Formats: sequence, structure tokens, C-alpha cells
Amino acid sequence: MRQFIAVVIAALAAVLFMLPVTGRVVAGQAFYKPDTPKFPQARTWVAQRAKLPPYKAPRTPDGVPDLQGNWNGPVGGGNDDLEEHDYIDVTTPPQESYVSDPPDGKVPYTPWALARRNEIRAGLARGWPGETGQRLYGDPAALCLVGMPRSSFGAQQIVQTRGQVILLTANTYRVIPTDGRAHMNSGAKFFFGNSRGRWEGETLVVDVTGVNGETWIDSAGNFYGPNTRMIERWTRVEPNTIDYQITIEDPSLYTRPWTMTYPKRRAGTGPGANPGGTTAASAAAVVTSDPYAKEFWENTCIEGNFDNVLEIKNLGFKWFNAVTP
Amino acid sequence: MPVMRWFVEWIVALAAFAMFALAPTPGTAQTSTTYTPPRTRDGQPDLQGIWQVLNTAAWDIQDHGASLGVPAGHGVVEGNEIPYTPAALAKKQENFKNRQTLDPENKCFLPGVPRVTYMPYPFQIVQQADRVTILHEYARVIRFIYMNGNPHPPGQIDWVMGDSRGRWEGNTLVVDVTHFNDETWFDRAGNFHSDALHVVERFTPTDRDHLLYEVTIEDPKVFTRPWKMSMPLYRRQEKDIELLEYECGAYLLKQEWDKTNSSLFNQR
Repeated sequence: MRQFIAVVIAALAAVLFMLPVTGRVVAGQAFYKPDTPKFPQARTWVAQRAKLPPYKAPRTPDGVPDLQGNWNGPVGGGNDDLEEHDYIDVTTPPQESYVSDPPDGKVPYTPWALARRNEIRAGLARGWPGETGQRLYGDPAALCLVGMPRSSFGAQQIVQTRGQVILLTANTYRVIPTDGRAHMNSGAKFFFGNSRGRWEGETLVVDVTGVNGETWIDSAGNFYGPNTRMIERWTRVEPNTIDYQITIEDPSLYTRPWTMTYPKRRAGTGPGANPGGTTAASAAAVVTSDPYAKEFWENTCIEGNFDNVLEIKNLGFKWFNAVTP
Repeated sequence: MPVMRWFVEWIVALAAFAMFALAPTPGTAQTSTTYTPPRTRDGQPDLQGIWQVLNTAAWDIQDHGASLGVPAGHGVVEGNEIPYTPAALAKKQENFKNRQTLDPENKCFLPGVPRVTYMPYPFQIVQQADRVTILHEYARVIRFIYMNGNPHPPGQIDWVMGDSRGRWEGNTLVVDVTHFNDETWFDRAGNFHSDALHVVERFTPTDRDHLLYEVTIEDPKVFTRPWKMSMPLYRRQEKDIELLEYECGAYLLKQEWDKTNSSLFNQR
């Protein structure tokens, strides 16, 4: 029974984050076997990126790099566990770390914060190694809570208008002003924080403050906090590839700033997570043959999953509040 | 009896004129305005910006007095009457009586169309050549209004927000919306529809800072004839205006999670 519950919870977290509730099932969602080869992430991508020739992106009519289009998330099992790990379960294949800095691929938690992360992980009740069997916290994403920086691990459509970059998925969005405005007062907290963008050569730099720390960075309890600052760097390094980097700073939680790096490939041109909830598929043949393939279709969350949310509550999982020292 | 015949003909003609002139006809031009809006780079009328209503339709789309937390207001329904069938009217009254528990907004579900437009939160219109996208601050609801030549997808699809297909009639954005489920309301007063709902919205710029928003509602399972709402949408003037967030579901779950007797979790 415990094994069953663990699989249900793990599958629920993965499914809620990756799949549309209505419309077509996204192609490529997989259940992995123990002998799945390790998915490449930051280490492999940083080495590949170093060999790329210089690239200058086409410009929008406003003269800034054109990042528009449908972009996939990273390859593999998504962000079940952002640090390097072996095969864990059917939704969590072996994978390199998303962390490119520090070089060991670990989140540089302070000792007490690491203890807190490990305590959360031991109470996931997913059937993972090292768990106590206690049900502490479910992944907030399973309760339809999304925020920074996890939304960018899924696929997104980028739309640029004058003075704004807009990131769209089927059921959520971010609007990033690039008009030089200041951040709001740091006391104003949001799931997605307060994003302020600027262009540095080929790169869109987004400074995010005002996050509330109430969501996780992955589904394995890696967290940030209400005082965390995130700096994203979006650079088109090839016609069909955006290099995505996010540096996370919070002296109260981490011993140093740390950075995750992965490529986002243009949908239909290569591997990667499909746009959640859209009918657009990674297979180029599907994109060209289905007139609706490039449309986003409705992708509700809590409406269709209220009974699952209730189940998580009834299993005894607690509400995850932001971690502060 | 020529006078009588004349009278009958006159009545028939008057009735025909009334049906033609007064009955709302989805998709036909109903608004004329002399204002010419600027154009987008794609040559469309430019409706982009952050907009919001300034009315009380979120509470009740019909004329209503005030009560605790409910501001009084003129309705937005043309003629004020909603032509419910008798059975539907009884259900509306039942909805009103039990609105605290039955209103889907109280569970933070997506509000449906047109309700999302007149909730007291700002929304942003973004235009591309083949699509108008409306981003709502409320629950980060996104409406994709496709203008790519695709018709509504086939079948009855039970979507909360429906399937929106747009076209331009002069300077007016006309949006045809179908494929609804029967689980959303029009307001907090229990006005409702079925899954046969068909909505036609018209967004007409009347000057730089105002859109006239007109909606025709058809639903033969609930109403005896089509009916209309109309209201202005106001451009938010603040220099630093931007969409922030109202993550309704998150706040509600957080509030209710540890309650031993939560009505949210116990009513199901």
C-alpha cells in the first residue's frame, strides 16, 4: 500500500506539472526503466556550448535580439531532482545536475538549510531511498502551485512587444518589462516575484526579486526563500537554441550564489519537454500536418484535480511554508 | 375592412421591424464610432494595453442594491431582464440563495467567459498577426483568441474558458466563443448557463483610452432568446501599471489546509 501511495504521489506530481488535463496527451511523456542512460544536463551542455561559433540573433523591429517562438524545456525527466542522481523511479531517470556552478553540481546550502532540505526529502513518501516513511510535504506543484524558477523548466512561448518580453504556457504567463522601471518594494511578495529585464548584447538579463519562497525548484524539496534573488540570462546561441542560465543568490540559505544552465530547443527541432498543455508536438511531422498543432489549448489545474488535492491533504501532507532562518 | 387589414399589416410590420432592430444578432455590426485607432505593425487596430472595468458586474450583472461587501450598481444587461426559461429562473434563484457554497469563484476555479472580463482585476491585451492574447491578473488566466484561419475544433469540448476564434470587423475585434462546460456562472448572484453556451464578444475602441465591450449570450437550454451585455473597458492610466498576481487557488488552499472543519474540503 505504501508503495502504491508513493507511486501515486510521484506520478501525480509529474503528471500535474507536465501534462494537460484536457486535450491531447503530450507526446514524449515517458515512464523510465532502470537501465535508461543518464540524461545530459549542465555538464554536457556547458561543454557543447563552449564549442559553438559566435552567433548574432536576428533583431525584432525594436532592434533587440529576437527570442520569439515555441521553446522546449530541458531533455529527460524534467526537474524531479535538480542535482545529479542515478535512477530513482519510473518518473525519475538518471540525470546529470542542472547546476553548472559550483562545479560539483550541488546546491551550496548552508549547513542548517541542507539539513532542512534533507528533512523534507526524507518525508516525501515517494518510495525514494533514505525516506523515513513520514509524510511531511508533497511537492507544491501537485497542489497547482507554480512559481519561479520552475516555470522555465517547462516549455514556453516567447512573445516580444515594445518594452516587454512575455513568456506563455497554456495556463500561466510572465510579463517581463524591459523599459528600465525599478523593482517594487521588497515587501511585496509574489509566486513569480517581480521581474525586471534588460538587454546586454545578445542576452536578455532578468533580475527577479520579491519571490515568496512558497514553491520548490524541483519536486525533491530543493527550496529558495522570500529573500532570494534570481538572475536569469536568456541568450540565443544558435538559430534554434536558447542558452538559459539562472543564478540564485540568498546568503541566508546558500554559502554562495549558484547557477543552473540548460538549453531550450525550438519546438519541433530537437529533444526536450513539450509545451505543457499545448497541442504543439516535438515531432516536426505532427507540427506540419495538424492545423491546431501550434495552438495552446485549455490546461486547467485545480478544477480537474481537486479530488487529488484532497487526497494529498487526507494522506497527512503538511502545507509548505517559505523557509527562513 | 380595410382599416382592420391596415392595422394588422402595420402590427406585423412593426413586429418584424422590432425583431430585426432589437433582437441581438451575433456577429453583426452593432456599433459605429468615428474614432480611428492606431494600427499595429501587422496593420490591425491596436487594442493593446492594460484594461479594467469600473462597474459592479462581478457581483451582479443586473440592477442591484448594496449589502455587506457588495456595492450597489446599475446592471450591464441591456434592458436588465435575462430571458430565463421558467425552470432556469428557479435554478438561478436557488443559486442566489446558496451562492456562498455554489459559486465556482469561491473555489477559485477559472471564471469562464465573459465573467473573467468584468472581474475587478486588470488584464492585458497582446496582439500578434494570427492571435490576440488576453492575460488576466486574476489567477494568471490566459485567453488565446486565434485568428489563424482554423475554425472551432470539432465536437462538444467541455472547456471552462471555451474556444475563442476572432476576426476584425472594421476596428472591432469580434470573438466567437463555444465549447463551454456548464460549471461557470456569470456573476456572484447565481446567473448561470449550460454547456450549450455560445458567446459573441465585440471589443470596439471608442477613443484612445476606452473600449466598448459588448457581449451576446445564446444558450437555448437556459434562455428563451439571445440577450446582451455592454460596458466600457478603461485603460489603466498609472505610469507604473503592470499585471501583478492573484493566485486565488494558492491563497485558498493555504487558508483552508489546516482547518479541522474546512467547508472547502468537507463539502465534497
